[in-house]
Amino acid sequence: MTLLRTSLRNFFAHKGRMVLSGLAVVLSVAFVCGTLVFTDTMTTTFDKLFADSSANVTVSPDDEEDDERPSTGIPATLPASVVEEAGRAEGAERAFGLAVSMAVTVVDSDNKSISPTTGAPTIATNWTELDERTMKLTSGELPEGPAEVAVDADTAKKHGLELGDELRTIAAPGDFTAKISGIVTFEATNPGAAVLYFDTAVVQERLLADPEAFTHVAVVAADGVSDELLKKQVLAAVGQGYAVQTQAEFTDELKADMGFLDVMKWVLLGFALIALLVGVFLIVNTFSMLVAQRTREIGLMRAIGADRRQVNRSVLVEAVLLGLFGSLVGVAAGVGLAVGLMALMNSFGMSLSTDDLTITWVTPVVGVALGVLVTVLAAYLPARRAGRVSPMAALRDSGVPQDGSAGRVRAVAGLVLTGGGALALLFAARADEAAPGALMLALGVLLSLVGFVLVGPLLASVVVRGLSVVVLRLWGPVGRLAERNALRNPRRTGATGAALMIGLALVASLSVVGASMVASADRELDRSVGADFIVSNDMGAPITPKAAEAVRSAPRLAHVTEYRALGGVEVTLPGGEEVRHDAVAASPTYAEDVRVETVEGRMADAYRQGAVSVDEAFADKHGLSVGDEVSLRYRDGDAEPLRIAAVTSKEASLDGGVMFLGIRTAETFVPEARMPLPMLMFGKAEEGQEAAAYQGLKERMEPFPQYQVRDQADYKAQLREQVGQLLNMVYGLLALAIIVAILGVVNTLALSVVERTREIGLMRAIGLSRRQLRRMIRLESVVIALFGALLGLGLGLVWGAAAQQLLALEGLRVLEIPWATIVTVFFGAAVVGLVAALVPAFRAGRMNVLSAIATE
Amino acid sequence: MTTAVTESRTGGGGESTAVAARARQVVKAYGSGETEVVALDRVDVEIARGAFTAIMGPSGSGKSTLMHCLAGLDAVTSGQIWVGDTEITSLKDKKLTRLRRDKIGFIFQAFNLLPTLNALENITLPMDIAGVRPDREWLDRVVSTVGLSGRLKHRPSELSGGQQQRVAVARALASRPEIIFGDEPTGNLDSRAGAEVLGFLRRSVDELGQTIVMVTHDPVAAAYADRVLYLADGRLVDEMWRPTAESVLDRMKAFDTFGRVS
Repeated sequence: MTLLRTSLRNFFAHKGRMVLSGLAVVLSVAFVCGTLVFTDTMTTTFDKLFADSSANVTVSPDDEEDDERPSTGIPATLPASVVEEAGRAEGAERAFGLAVSMAVTVVDSDNKSISPTTGAPTIATNWTELDERTMKLTSGELPEGPAEVAVDADTAKKHGLELGDELRTIAAPGDFTAKISGIVTFEATNPGAAVLYFDTAVVQERLLADPEAFTHVAVVAADGVSDELLKKQVLAAVGQGYAVQTQAEFTDELKADMGFLDVMKWVLLGFALIALLVGVFLIVNTFSMLVAQRTREIGLMRAIGADRRQVNRSVLVEAVLLGLFGSLVGVAAGVGLAVGLMALMNSFGMSLSTDDLTITWVTPVVGVALGVLVTVLAAYLPARRAGRVSPMAALRDSGVPQDGSAGRVRAVAGLVLTGGGALALLFAARADEAAPGALMLALGVLLSLVGFVLVGPLLASVVVRGLSVVVLRLWGPVGRLAERNALRNPRRTGATGAALMIGLALVASLSVVGASMVASADRELDRSVGADFIVSNDMGAPITPKAAEAVRSAPRLAHVTEYRALGGVEVTLPGGEEVRHDAVAASPTYAEDVRVETVEGRMADAYRQGAVSVDEAFADKHGLSVGDEVSLRYRDGDAEPLRIAAVTSKEASLDGGVMFLGIRTAETFVPEARMPLPMLMFGKAEEGQEAAAYQGLKERMEPFPQYQVRDQADYKAQLREQVGQLLNMVYGLLALAIIVAILGVVNTLALSVVERTREIGLMRAIGLSRRQLRRMIRLESVVIALFGALLGLGLGLVWGAAAQQLLALEGLRVLEIPWATIVTVFFGAAVVGLVAALVPAFRAGRMNVLSAIATE
Repeated sequence: MTTAVTESRTGGGGESTAVAARARQVVKAYGSGETEVVALDRVDVEIARGAFTAIMGPSGSGKSTLMHCLAGLDAVTSGQIWVGDTEITSLKDKKLTRLRRDKIGFIFQAFNLLPTLNALENITLPMDIAGVRPDREWLDRVVSTVGLSGRLKHRPSELSGGQQQRVAVARALASRPEIIFGDEPTGNLDSRAGAEVLGFLRRSVDELGQTIVMVTHDPVAAAYADRVLYLADGRLVDEMWRPTAESVLDRMKAFDTFGRVS
């Protein structure tokens, strides 16, 4: 009991020294809990939305093959008769048809797209009673007749749309314009989609290209009829060939599309855990210093009869208290973080309501458990060291017990692990197959990281000496004092630097992979793309016939190539076996536009009538070679015998594993209505006319803002930008870990200043000026930060290079080291060191000389 | 007692003034109003150049406070203090720091040395901080005077308590300050090591012409001085020239009785 009281008193007496460790726990736990609350809330929100917007039973076209359905730009439909059949089913109150298309682009009078830029869909649909559950007409009228449209209020607001404005809807069957007759407002959460309502007949004729078709049938159950029962009855009523789902089944399917939420959750949690790991170093340092400062006190306790376990436990109790306080505050902060994140999402066009804020019991339990567990684990080693303090320590003047042998054991273990990690990375870089290579890479990263952490103290003395020769000596005796201080406790410097190392190693390795990605793609484009221009939609929507016509009509083009992805095709092998394989139909000029390397035959021949190419892997697996005959069948069409004219190399990085054939050839066995629209179109300018052709093509495509026309330079720039955005996002998430690491530097310095109070007093007494004192602390901080940066960047470069070597199997053939980023990070670390030292240096400068000397 | 200065020796700096430091009407008070505690009460004192002065007095007499004020470590409440020709009571921290660095040497009771620096680095630290190259010849002389030649590369943790204090003495001497202040410099040493250190201080006055002011409560230590100042209740109450341990002890006993009677 007395020991517990001692722990409590110690904890509160030293709460100032625990603040930064506590903050590290708070930040990490807040991030964990914020992630959980945010994703839970999103899930609740979408569940509600899906439930509100679906009927008791929904009938859809049989979509067994929907996943592989190549895009014709028109949704699958069912005939209007199904509505009546379903409505007549026993237990059905009524049924009505839904006509929905998401394959539309809507532009305002300036030809600007009003589609969301977030990846959320643009939904064009008819107004039904389902919509009445989630939407309210807030101004104007619902659309009537072919020339009216209602638009959701969020979209209207974002694009400044008003009643009477004209909108042009672009879809595969053609364009049409409509005036805004009404504005509807989401009463539930708006997931960020742009929603447009048309008269039912308009959707059917203009978007589904069939005045008698619907995309879904909604069936409302009569009183007392369960969804399950109704489903059975509807199934019986509509017969085979349709998918019939209860509300639960239907929403489950929609929820499956929200799988990205789960991915997001785990990614965010991953970054939170990295931050927590970084926080461990902070906690270890804090407790080590507390124990060192308290050596005499602990010795006294041992001398008067406390046993090791009791001393040990008294330190751990403090850790539990710290973890408990930190994680409780963290849980609360996490809820705040989630609310802030929701506000952020709202500013990006979603409307999330805090009414749906979902805090399950898991959130606080995970938060507190994680916070306490990590803190206690981190304090375990210092606590054990406290237990080992001998009663004699009470009598000694001062004395931080040095543990030489453990240091050696640690260094050896670290070197062994680092060596093992290096070996694993080497294996990963030399791997022939991706899966075992990835495992080796993960192992190598883990081993080298742990190894570096262990040899950290050893490296600290080497690296700090090296750095001081280059940097510190410039500052003369103050620099030397800073060097000595940084070297004084290599374990502390090592741990502080290691915390920074983790974040920076990840930054460095990812920047290497990102830069290599861009460089590899650049080289691949230069090597294999002969086309001058590419027309595509960034969301992957196909090119409508009208737009394709516009491309073809552009002036000064030597040729235009269409690229149609057929998706899965049934292939009958010479032996009679039937397998499914992906195929692409393209104009014969595709052979010039994109160079696909072959191991046998020529690609130009593969686009001739009645010919096809197969990829090397497929050919090897089924023993095929040039001259063999295979039959291709598409869905319900007829089989067509084709001759293999080329075998494409597996080294080909673009479209490596598909069959290529000419569009004319494809037309012989793909039914006309099933022929997919082109995904991409390529253009080649007439000799010397590149600029004019590019200009002309852009002009022709002006009425089709949903498509982007790019030349090779644009394409590369876009790729670079995409990779850059992805990296920035990851850097943003790593910022948390780096902030915690910076707190660690501040923590180490602040505690060191307290620990060295008397020294500082002495130095001030014999003539060290405040400015020199502050500079000394700043230099120490910079050296620790640079040490962490050097380790992190070194480790990261090796990881990145190993990852690139491994990914070379997947086409990432060029190793590019982004020196600009690396150098920026290095000098950034120096700035971080300066910033981290601000407060500790200020406080040291303000110390009263006399009281510093007098401090016992 | 006519003047505090009887004989003037040439100090290390070789300046003409016979007074190394002077305090006039110095008051040091802590707190205010009812809780005010006066540590120094209108103290006038002059420290002779090239002499070894000891300040004695019971605990709480203000002897340490007086030394701290004279050395520019502590600010006075009122009154003036000069070190050499410089009036330090009006100086700001920056100039005060520089004064301590260039003109004053310190020897504390304990924790005199930076653990990260070896003996030689500790000795030259004030000059390093000032960016001044140490005078090699003088340094060698100081080092050999305190008998540290073989131990210059040792870290403080590798030196005995007496050796550590000798390093501190060497540091104080090395930059040839106008005045050296010692705050119970032998308080933590056994009598033999203490005697050694006091011997060096005495010799540095006799042979090197150094000015030293030392706070002590040990009559034996005080006996090494040329002059002993007695403080009680923040006032200078007596002084003694050419003291011996016995005479100092007797005088203190007298104060004690006096104190009790009054």
